[in-house]
Amino acid sequence: MDNCTMDNELQTDNELQMNRVFLIGRDEIPRKVRLDSGDTLSWTLVFLPCAGADVKVDLDVNLCGPGSSLDLAGIYICPTDEKLSLNIKVKHSAEDCSSSQLFKGLAGGCSRAVFDGLILVEHGAQRTKAVQESHSILLSERAVAEVHPQLEIYADDVECSHGATTGFLNEEEEFYMRSRGIPEAEAKRLQTISFLAPVLARLPENLRNEIISKC
Amino acid sequence: MDLMGDHKLDNNYLLEINSLHAGIEGKEILKGVDLRIGKGEVHAVMGPNGAGKSTLGAVITGRRDYGVTGGELRFCGKNLLAMAPEERSWAGIFLSFQYPIEIPGVSITNFMKAAVNAKRKAAGLPDLKPGEFLKLLKEKMALVGMDSAFAKREVNVGFSGGEKKRNEIFQMAMLEPVLGILDETDSGLDVDALKTVADGVNALRSPERSFIIITHYQKLLEYIRPDFVHVLKEGRIVRNGGPELAEAIWQDGFEGIN
Repeated sequence: MDNCTMDNELQTDNELQMNRVFLIGRDEIPRKVRLDSGDTLSWTLVFLPCAGADVKVDLDVNLCGPGSSLDLAGIYICPTDEKLSLNIKVKHSAEDCSSSQLFKGLAGGCSRAVFDGLILVEHGAQRTKAVQESHSILLSERAVAEVHPQLEIYADDVECSHGATTGFLNEEEEFYMRSRGIPEAEAKRLQTISFLAPVLARLPENLRNEIISKC
Repeated sequence: MDLMGDHKLDNNYLLEINSLHAGIEGKEILKGVDLRIGKGEVHAVMGPNGAGKSTLGAVITGRRDYGVTGGELRFCGKNLLAMAPEERSWAGIFLSFQYPIEIPGVSITNFMKAAVNAKRKAAGLPDLKPGEFLKLLKEKMALVGMDSAFAKREVNVGFSGGEKKRNEIFQMAMLEPVLGILDETDSGLDVDALKTVADGVNALRSPERSFIIITHYQKLLEYIRPDFVHVLKEGRIVRNGGPELAEAIWQDGFEGIN
């Protein structure tokens, strides 16, 4: 990856690929996406280590058509001094739409990862189902992982939730592995892979292996 | 010269615990435990809730959040307290967890490959070839009555209580320890699962392998007959005996034993 900045243009609907993996900093990610009736969008955003990177991703998804759905996931690995800002806005404008978001990331060194996630359920968007989860593991004391989840709901028949965690690797898991003879460093690596697993499972094998090799 | 403070034992004790004091977050739980385990022996450690039974297992295996404030812990003459958890595992100690940990995204095969090859590396041996490893995995799964389909499952994820405990015994079979510590392996198991787990343990019994069986109940000891029974109460071993002690506890409870 030789260019880690991004300044992409709005992409029109008919250029959309409904199933896609985007490499942040390499692939152009549409800023605004509109989903019509019955559309299903399944995207995975991947940010790989890129020393010195300072990247901002803005993505607005508007579920305009009844019954449309969004399945968005992201993974980021920031081991050194990367700065990553994800600003994701999901707007439910129609009835019976669903959106699911899962972001997982690692922040080490003095890197900084910020996730701003807004779910906006408009008046009339009844029977909306929206879930947003963002979890980060800090690999160093100096790394920062901030999560700012926001829910704005103007309809009364909805199921919405969000969950956000930031923490260090679990010591009990580490002890379990070490008690089986797995050395500390390898235990931490396996823990990291385990943490990222739900998003790794969405990726093609070569990319999954590339990420695992960087853990 | 013996810089490590290790000494050859003048007897055949595999594990020697002398006046062990240990606790967690400043609270003393073990208040002077003495215990000696010989080669090939099966010792049951019984006691009421909060007696310190699980703490004993955690301290022997080197859990970081438990602090040792006094006493000695020697394994094959080596000072265990100076060894990391993985080094204790390489030396031949295995703990079957009361609450086995789930590791999503890591298959049993990959988990055990990492464990077995780490142990081999520590012994100066090369990694097992993939074919050799799979053969060993299948052989040990069969030994503990575990369906080979589990090899691809994520470690303990979605397992029933019995399956988790059986997976612990399977891991023990893979790592072939010289001392297996079973921490409340019987908790949460129905009789059939208990018997299967006990069969697995019995299949691993040998003159070269010792066990510490930590339990509340005598039930498991009907299937795995211990050579010695110890009662741990309020952080101390208050009674030592043979299998008949377990039966007496079953009749009268722990209250009368001091």
